[in-house]
Amino acid sequence: MRLEEHPVIDFTKRRGKKVTIYFEGKPIEAYEGEPIAEALHAAGIRVLNYSTEKQRPRGLFCAIGKCSSCLMVVNGIPNTRTCITLVEDGMRVERQRGSQPLPRDYKAPQWKEAEKHYGDIVIIGGGPAGLMAGIKAAEKGAKVLLIDEQPILGGQLVKQTHKFFGKREQFAGVRGIKIAEILADEAKKNGVEIHLETSAIGIFDNNGEKLVVAVEKNKKLHEFHGKAVVVATGAMEKMIPFENNDLPGVYGAGAIQTLMNTYGIEPGKRVLIVGAGNVGVILAYQLKQAGVNVVAIVEAMPRIGAYFVHAAKVRRLGIPIYTRHTILRAEGDGKVERAVVAQIDENWQPIPGTEKVYDVDVIALAVGLRPSIELLHQAGAQITYARELSGYVVRHDERMETTVRGLFVAGDSSGIEEATTAMLEGKIAGLSAALLVGKAPLQVYDEIKKAQKDLEEFRSGPFGKHILEGLKKVMIND
Amino acid sequence: MMKNKVDIAIIGGGIIGLYTAFELAKRGVENIAVYEKRYIGSGSTFRCGTGIRQQFGDEANIKMMKRAVEKWTNLGDEMDFPNFKMAKTGYLFLLYDEKEVKTFKRNVSLQNSLGVPSKVITPEEAREIVPTLDISEVIAATFNPTDGKANPFLAVYGLARKLRKMGIEINEYTEVKDIIVKDSQVEGVKTSKGEVKADIVLNAANAWAKIFNEKLGLNIPIEPYKHQGIVSEPFKLGEIKPMVVSFKYGGAYFTQKANGGLIGGIALKYGPTWDLTPTYEFLREVSKNFTRIIPALKHISIIRQWGGYYAETPDHNAVIGKIKEIEGYYLAAGFSGHGFMLAPSVAEGMADLITKGHTNLPFDFYDPYRFERGELREQAVQMG
Repeated sequence: MRLEEHPVIDFTKRRGKKVTIYFEGKPIEAYEGEPIAEALHAAGIRVLNYSTEKQRPRGLFCAIGKCSSCLMVVNGIPNTRTCITLVEDGMRVERQRGSQPLPRDYKAPQWKEAEKHYGDIVIIGGGPAGLMAGIKAAEKGAKVLLIDEQPILGGQLVKQTHKFFGKREQFAGVRGIKIAEILADEAKKNGVEIHLETSAIGIFDNNGEKLVVAVEKNKKLHEFHGKAVVVATGAMEKMIPFENNDLPGVYGAGAIQTLMNTYGIEPGKRVLIVGAGNVGVILAYQLKQAGVNVVAIVEAMPRIGAYFVHAAKVRRLGIPIYTRHTILRAEGDGKVERAVVAQIDENWQPIPGTEKVYDVDVIALAVGLRPSIELLHQAGAQITYARELSGYVVRHDERMETTVRGLFVAGDSSGIEEATTAMLEGKIAGLSAALLVGKAPLQVYDEIKKAQKDLEEFRSGPFGKHILEGLKKVMIND
Repeated sequence: MMKNKVDIAIIGGGIIGLYTAFELAKRGVENIAVYEKRYIGSGSTFRCGTGIRQQFGDEANIKMMKRAVEKWTNLGDEMDFPNFKMAKTGYLFLLYDEKEVKTFKRNVSLQNSLGVPSKVITPEEAREIVPTLDISEVIAATFNPTDGKANPFLAVYGLARKLRKMGIEINEYTEVKDIIVKDSQVEGVKTSKGEVKADIVLNAANAWAKIFNEKLGLNIPIEPYKHQGIVSEPFKLGEIKPMVVSFKYGGAYFTQKANGGLIGGIALKYGPTWDLTPTYEFLREVSKNFTRIIPALKHISIIRQWGGYYAETPDHNAVIGKIKEIEGYYLAAGFSGHGFMLAPSVAEGMADLITKGHTNLPFDFYDPYRFERGELREQAVQMG
């Protein structure tokens, strides 16, 4: 089912040309510009593959190419991440059943040398942090190459239909989707060279300079050469253990936002949300906005984690939030049909007799994110564990430089916070990188200091307290 | 508490050190300790290509490997760890010119004369073994069905579990700093956690072996070279059963692991060096060469790449034996990329050498003094 009416976005205008793809031989209508898994979801197909060991049905989970839950055989090629591979007219798509045989393809490939791109700074990730880093570095005159494996710029901003708050210069009152457009336009205006659907696969040292190797659309090899690299690869959704947590219909909160807010696809009819942090609570509001029924939000902690304004809005909509409750299991035949929740005691154990059963077709997990640090780790940067920043994170200094000279980090990949801090960190990383490569004058320090001060101010509230604790473990002091 | 006196101290918690401890323990030596500066297997064993083959070009290596395969076959039962099994999926060498065919035919008859059932086969027969092979340039192949592979993680953990049950001390994160020698007699080892007295020390530190040798004034040429490996995403198990080897295409070697992922590498080395940073050049050359051997691999993604040492000697054969200058000092190192596969017979021979003073295995071939005498062996057929 597709959303035809939405108070914030006009999807009829957004959708590309109609095309036909073939799912196990059956024609499916899709729109150019949308990924395969999303198009299949719109056609009511939720089971995308079967697991190798126990042949359990699996479906979407993260919808941003990070979790491998959506692998299918596309045009005969196995292990295709269908959540970020765009539909093409006539495409053949099949469910993957465990490990696939190698295609019987005897045509020796013609080796093509990589397409080479040269710049001062290479940025990996086109979300709020990466875009801001690119804009700031380019403003100073650095040649910036920016790559992202998604088909659209903006990272997770592209699915945020709510208005941001805070300071005016930090886009207060502007919807996330609009911020994505503003940043993307700004980056292009400043001459940032943008490569989409291009996955960075490694960061290498090349005689003292940096080389980022990337693959476009899983086919074409690119080399991005520069003197500095900013990694702004964001985060991926966490999973929690409960019975049947792999049943199709158990989706990450971000995946639901991608379906409805980016591609105008109805995620389901009735949703239970697990987690009452900002993501879970905002998701509830966005689901209502899209006309989807939210039965409840359960939260294991004794308190709601979200900002008061968001939680209040959801309460006004009549969505119950149960603290000290957790999900026990998902039930259903090949897809989510019910969710069983229960109250938990002070030892986090379910209290017998408190079970509630909800008839739902979607269970949304909004149980946190973890930083995507793989490339930083591969590049040799020192990694440390900081629970307050949601997992393993890279060590960095005040200018966002890691323990590897010329390798910078910004945004959620340096610890989970939010878009506003991601943009500020991006600003700091971009300016510092421009300074390092000799494109910015020393006076740029004032701008860096200003952004550092803004960050400090933003983190000074009660929500920033644990972030500051985490940063203590991470920061390298000169 | 770590013991402060043992009969035999073994430096290195890789497959050679652990397997030798096991063979010694089986012979009734109980007071043994293994010292590993990081965690067991972390040096070279866990970085290896997993292959086990008897298709060598000289008598000594063939004999050693034949014995090793017999022992690999029984190791799971011996260490009460039936999950460990050597997979006898064979080694398939692809040959592209007459010169190669001639050398390999000679090797096959030598192997056959020593009881190894290798054979020369046609390109079509090779494709029956691996259906996705591009045989358009292949003119012949050799295949030995009793070669294969084993999981180095299971081998190491299985051995360590068994050793601990037998009361053998395995000290991880315990670095041997020095071998203590007095009046040309081994007295023990100085470790990061204190001194330990021992009459016998076995240096099984492979790439790091030379550090101890040099400190003792011994000049035995073992140098660390960086080699690399890759693993791919999994595909249907059984598609690439044997270890496939092609000298024409980059000296490539690869096979499928138990989970269906491809493991392998090519003959691109850097060094001598202690640096193990994976290189883009390697990644590119792997992609280029693997896909010439099996074109369908172009659809499969590499998911990991890592570096490890080949502890190389000038003739790519290990140095194994008793060190004459220092009573009680034994060496089993410099495996040049063959340490994992050779481990069972090296361990057996070393345990005999230590406990009985001799072994029936052809240890002379690996004599540490051959370089001094200028007697280099024919270079062992080396992969990766």
